[in-house]
Amino acid sequence: MLTLALNNLTRRRLRTALTLLGVAVSVGVLACLLAFGRGYEAGLGRELNNMGIQMMLVPLGCPYDAAARVLKGKTLDVSLPAESVKTVRKDSAVAIAAPMLMATLPRPSEGRTDLWVGVDESVRPLKPWWKMKEGSRWFPDANSVILGAEAAHAELREVGDTFFSPETGRKFTVCGVLERSGTSDDSQFFAPLATAQAMFHQPDRITAVAIRLKDPTLIGDASTRLQEVKGAQVVTMAEMMGTFLNLVGSVRTLVFAITVLALCISGLSVFNTMLSAVLERTRELGVLRAVGASRGQVFRLLAIEALLLTTIGSALGIVLALLAGRFVEMGVRLFVPLAPSETLLVLSREVIQQCFAVGIIVGLGAGLYPAWQASRLQPVEAIRVD
Amino acid sequence: MQTLVSAQELTKVYNRGVEEVRALDGVTFDLQKGDFVAITGASGAGKTTLLHLLGCMDIPTSGELLMNGQSTRGLSDSALTRMRREQVGFVFQHFGLLPTLTVMENMTLPALFSKRDAKESAKELLEKVGMTHRRNHRPNQLSGGEMQRVAIARALINCPQILLADEPTGNLDSVNGEAILQLFHQLNRDGLTIIVVTHNPTLANATQRQLVLRDGRLVP
Ligand SMILES: Nc1ncnc2c1ncn2[C@@H]1O[C@H](COP(=O)(O)OP(=O)(O)OP(=O)(O)O)[C@@H](O)[C@H]1O
Ligand SMILES: [Mg+2]
Repeated sequence: MLTLALNNLTRRRLRTALTLLGVAVSVGVLACLLAFGRGYEAGLGRELNNMGIQMMLVPLGCPYDAAARVLKGKTLDVSLPAESVKTVRKDSAVAIAAPMLMATLPRPSEGRTDLWVGVDESVRPLKPWWKMKEGSRWFPDANSVILGAEAAHAELREVGDTFFSPETGRKFTVCGVLERSGTSDDSQFFAPLATAQAMFHQPDRITAVAIRLKDPTLIGDASTRLQEVKGAQVVTMAEMMGTFLNLVGSVRTLVFAITVLALCISGLSVFNTMLSAVLERTRELGVLRAVGASRGQVFRLLAIEALLLTTIGSALGIVLALLAGRFVEMGVRLFVPLAPSETLLVLSREVIQQCFAVGIIVGLGAGLYPAWQASRLQPVEAIRVD
Repeated sequence: MQTLVSAQELTKVYNRGVEEVRALDGVTFDLQKGDFVAITGASGAGKTTLLHLLGCMDIPTSGELLMNGQSTRGLSDSALTRMRREQVGFVFQHFGLLPTLTVMENMTLPALFSKRDAKESAKELLEKVGMTHRRNHRPNQLSGGEMQRVAIARALINCPQILLADEPTGNLDSVNGEAILQLFHQLNRDGLTIIVVTHNPTLANATQRQLVLRDGRLVP
């Protein structure tokens, strides 16, 4: 029975190949999508955890936007008074509270905008991935600056070089250069908090307070308490993650709709292949009926053909997803906000199983009607057609 | 003598648009076990139609067919399928071999459908029809006579009581036709009931009995 079905598929090679391709592409897309969704969630969670930041105190306003901006190294228009750090530090659940002042510095002559971040020593435990290049030191004086890897590259500066900022009329010594970390830190300019405040005329103001708790389980109580700080609000990382995932979710819904469409089309092509197989083999199927095949057996034969078609197609699709996954991932990074830096596409066994199941269901669905048609053929009618 | 097939007032009417075609009109006859019968008649006389009815591949418009004394009227599709599978062997005018299958696979199809292991009997049958050396070839590698012999072997694989053959020599030259005739004689001697539709006078005259059809009726 199996050989019979297989034989029939190899008869129309081109048509079979095209159908297989259709199934493969849509299953491949589905696999990428599912894998990406999982990878993204896992990756984002891991990244946010790595940050060592569990909450953030930001000025009132759209909290998620604010937090996202701070995380991605963009400035905020509003700020907090510097005392809020002290309030935060007084809270019993807080282990580390690091004030940050972020400001953009337009560089018309260079055609770009630099991002300056004023920090103090307390930020270092919150940035565990920071590695300094040879000879780097933490700010020895007010006019020192630490450059992110890309910032240093753009400015052509090494550790120990001096560095003049014409826009602010200040001269700095580069006391440190960060190794590339793949985060937004790479392109930033870090200065002592007080220096940054003076430079950008924001005395005693800060943009955000990054917070690590003594125990992550205290997060609920701590955020209720810190919500009381005047003009400020608390954003927890869990909330942020939720927001990003919602955002990604809507993108995914769109892609999902496209995938469903693709699956429908490949279902139709299986349907078409099987239906024309039934039509052009009417006489053969009649012969089968005449030599003793029951309706059920003819039905099964055609169903097996459809199943083979989609199973092989789905397998190809998964291979395709494995091969093309890398490129898809690169593409996705261009469009999805806050893409975590590690591999997003995780083709887990579960994903593969799900895709297989979907492919087979679509194939069976599309193969049923032609198979049923075939099983309804009367032996004579079938033999008579000349 | 045991009556194997009994046709009673078999009538088949085809509706071709508004036109009614009485392909068979009240055909009655009995066949005994071990008969070798030829059905002859002009083109369009209803020979193929009758053979299809005898082979349980079609249902008469009226009249009744008894097989082994049992009526086939009102049988379900699956019961008719079982009849085709086990009681009768059918040889088509156009052979009806599946191009994608080998000689062996084609031959054993009926056994496959009745879920029987037919390896041994297939070997014997191949021997009988003289096709052992061609067992792994595909139909397009065979001559007409060879294809016909494979088709006969397939019809016999489930050990039916009756062999029905529609113009078995129609597409063959006289040498191959003679070989098929010899094969039929041999099978008939072994006890098989054979009914052939034929235009070939040699074949028709070699049988024990001829049923002549004209416009759907038996000529007495
Ligand atoms: N499916 C059908 N629909 C309508 N008319 C049919 C059908 N099958 C056969 N007929 C008609 O029934 C009559 C008998 O046909 P049948 O095929 O039995 O003749 P035959 O004796 O086998 O002829 P031949 O020697 O040419 O094979 C013919 O007039 C034919 O046109
Ligand atoms: Mg005919």
